[in-house]
Amino acid sequence: MPGKLFIRRRDGRIEIRLNDVGRGAIREVFAHVVASERDPDHEWHLSMNAPINPSHDNDDPVSTLARQHDIATNAELSVMTLNEQFLNDAEAWAWLCTLQVALRSTAVSKGIFDEEKLSSCAPELLDEIHLMQQLLFDLAACF
Amino acid sequence: MKPLRSTSTESDVESDVTVVTERPWNVIVWNDPVTPMTVVEVVFKRIFGYSNNKCTQLMLTVHHEGRAIVWSGQRERAESYCVKLQVAGLQATVELDS
Repeated sequence: MPGKLFIRRRDGRIEIRLNDVGRGAIREVFAHVVASERDPDHEWHLSMNAPINPSHDNDDPVSTLARQHDIATNAELSVMTLNEQFLNDAEAWAWLCTLQVALRSTAVSKGIFDEEKLSSCAPELLDEIHLMQQLLFDLAACF
Repeated sequence: MKPLRSTSTESDVESDVTVVTERPWNVIVWNDPVTPMTVVEVVFKRIFGYSNNKCTQLMLTVHHEGRAIVWSGQRERAESYCVKLQVAGLQATVELDS
């Protein structure tokens, strides 16, 4: 994909330079995050509910609720702003968090825990991961 | 009957020094093979407000050593930071300082 996909403008807004195909791909990613937060059987659900304090059998319920709420809020805000041409700072941060949650959840659900495993995964999966990395790379440059 | 003059031998000077005896809780960020380095830096900057240099150093520690202590202190705050990092998609946990 030539050129940057996200640009921080002088007025502080972040311009989205994605075509319909790109937005469609992101829509699918965001929808997965929303679904996995609600569905305990979703393949991403486990990675989104990782332990906070592994030395305890159960994490503090207040902390886990806060995490659930914030991930869902970010994902829903991302879905709501999918068709916008410009994002404000909070919206762009929600996009970054949701994309990163999706990227890590993809890796965890496919058992990609090291470089070796990453390089040996199926080409379609690798393309999916590279797309999310590229989006994150350009979006992170706006902060 | 109230005495005309205090006969107390206790010191009137109160100490401002607080002795902390509890071990701090560490917030750990773990390496993974897919997260772009710039994302890790941006998340550290946004959540902790660290300088660019400190964010880069911490990111490199995560990358090369597999993990880094990114914050230490009170347990409640450590868990709160850990949740913020997890919401931003990083692999983070808390542990008691050894």
